[in-house]
Amino acid sequence: MGTVKDREPFRWHSTIAYKTVPKIVTRGFDTTQLVEKGYGFADVIFINYQARIPLVREMKMLHYLMILCLEDGMSTAAGISRFAAKGHNILTQSAGASILAFGHAYGAYQAYGRMLDRYLEQAEKEGKSLQEMAEILVRENQGSLSLGVSNLMLKDPAAKRIFARADSLDLSGRYIGFQREIVKAIQKASKEPVDLDMLGAVGATMFDLGFTPEATWSIVALARAFGATAHAMEEEEREPRVVFGQNLQPKEYYDGPTDRPVPPLKDRDRIVKPGQTKTLEEWRKAFDERAKLGGSGWAIVEEIADPRKLVKVKGK
Amino acid sequence: MEREPMIKRKTAISYKTEEKTVLRGYNLSDLAEEGYTFCDALFVLFQGRIPSQAEEKMLEYEMGEFLEHSMSPSAASAIATMGGRPQLPAAVAAGVMTFGGAHGPGAAHGYMLNKYLERARVEGKSVKEMGKILVDEYMDAGMPVMGLGQPQHVDGDPRAMPTHRKQEELGVDGVYLELQKAVEEAFNKRREAEGKKTIAVNMIGAGNTALAELGFSPNAAWGIGILCRGFSCACHAIENMKKGHAWMASTREKMIQMLDLSMIVYDGIPDRPVPSQEEREEYAQRELEKGEYKKWVL
Repeated sequence: MGTVKDREPFRWHSTIAYKTVPKIVTRGFDTTQLVEKGYGFADVIFINYQARIPLVREMKMLHYLMILCLEDGMSTAAGISRFAAKGHNILTQSAGASILAFGHAYGAYQAYGRMLDRYLEQAEKEGKSLQEMAEILVRENQGSLSLGVSNLMLKDPAAKRIFARADSLDLSGRYIGFQREIVKAIQKASKEPVDLDMLGAVGATMFDLGFTPEATWSIVALARAFGATAHAMEEEEREPRVVFGQNLQPKEYYDGPTDRPVPPLKDRDRIVKPGQTKTLEEWRKAFDERAKLGGSGWAIVEEIADPRKLVKVKGK
Repeated sequence: MEREPMIKRKTAISYKTEEKTVLRGYNLSDLAEEGYTFCDALFVLFQGRIPSQAEEKMLEYEMGEFLEHSMSPSAASAIATMGGRPQLPAAVAAGVMTFGGAHGPGAAHGYMLNKYLERARVEGKSVKEMGKILVDEYMDAGMPVMGLGQPQHVDGDPRAMPTHRKQEELGVDGVYLELQKAVEEAFNKRREAEGKKTIAVNMIGAGNTALAELGFSPNAAWGIGILCRGFSCACHAIENMKKGHAWMASTREKMIQMLDLSMIVYDGIPDRPVPSQEEREEYAQRELEKGEYKKWVL
């Protein structure tokens, strides 16, 4: 390859959809024909993400799940959406902002789904039961907020009702089965009462419906964004707008370096201490010192993939 | 786990206790258990009411139809954003935030319809008369009439007329559809009189009219439209994440990639030497005086 003249010109390649002047086609189906023949929103989500028309009970289950994801009071997504709206933006910005709330803690469907997949694969390889593998998962992921089990739904039956609905529609599969074992394993290990939460209930059911962790992450975030959009509009309707530079931050809420004079510019090379470190000990000391300053980012340590644990690719 | 409210606000939308989440008075879990659809729930969210079956069907139709539109600015944004391999929500949000004044200006169209309907009422004119006034006012001012024409579907958006028809078939038509159709008729009559080709209604004109008729505010309708499209934007982003290449610039691909260097056409100021710091002040002063740089200012 390499030179331009030997290669095909750029095209938008897609396995999802195409359109021509007279029609729009997703996964082989003309979208207007789909809705004319009575297929609805949830059906098209299945077609778009999974290239298949769902069973009626699958379609019903997706509606059920999306209703539960629609609204959650003053959640992070609603809060961000409201904050964005305070600047008197256009609605698309507030809607988009709410989606940005989703990460590996809030609505951690990708992280949770990939974890389930990893352990289910391991169970299959090692011939372990779901119960055994759930116990291993719980042992290896202590303290994680993304296990689908917490104290959030002890009095609210909504999460358990999701699994019951999946059972009644004959849609419970290995993900729901596995999550049930995870709940039992955590309940056995925990001193505090815990139970299935919405991450576990919605996530496992979506996976049993055939959605990938990424698809689930997107669908849930978008369902919630509808609710967040209502919050953005209400913020505009009921709360004052905020202009640049308006908000004060009282000193009693400040715990950074104490007030100090700004050194004269000409003296700076004499006064300042450069940030470079020359030895590992100096580096470590500087690292720990920097981590004490909130907002510097040094106190945040993200786990990245360990190449030693990855399967080697032949020839590389 | 700390469960204090993140922000303290009075809200008429929902509340959440340890026992339940309540949306506009309805327990969300009960709504789902009863067999209501997500589209029903959107009526509850934005309008505080459960819709009739025909209304629910109309929203299902519209959302099912609007979800995928292959390569539009929104899908392209989602794909391009995913090229940098951020977390997936960034690409989904980028897709949603692409919607604005040109791509799916739903709220603006809704506000336009509301304004002219109110004028018809106050000025004692029929909806049809007001449709012509709207068109004349916009065209006389040289402004595009929203809801008409689509740059890719040059013979008419294939989704639009069926949406109008579906509204009538389900009996969920009213003043909005009447006004929109009057606008389409007056617009094309005027174009024909001017010897121009007629232009068909697009999905803002058809879809947004239906949403307004269903009782959604201009912004709620816009929110429904853009978020509905967000589902397919996410799907396109995931395809790039799982099956495409990051960066989209590899020269090892058979096809030239979107960000291949050969895709860049530069027609700005020709290459020029960087002045030394000693020359800088005089150079900068000369540029200011000549003022040629102004034609490049963005």
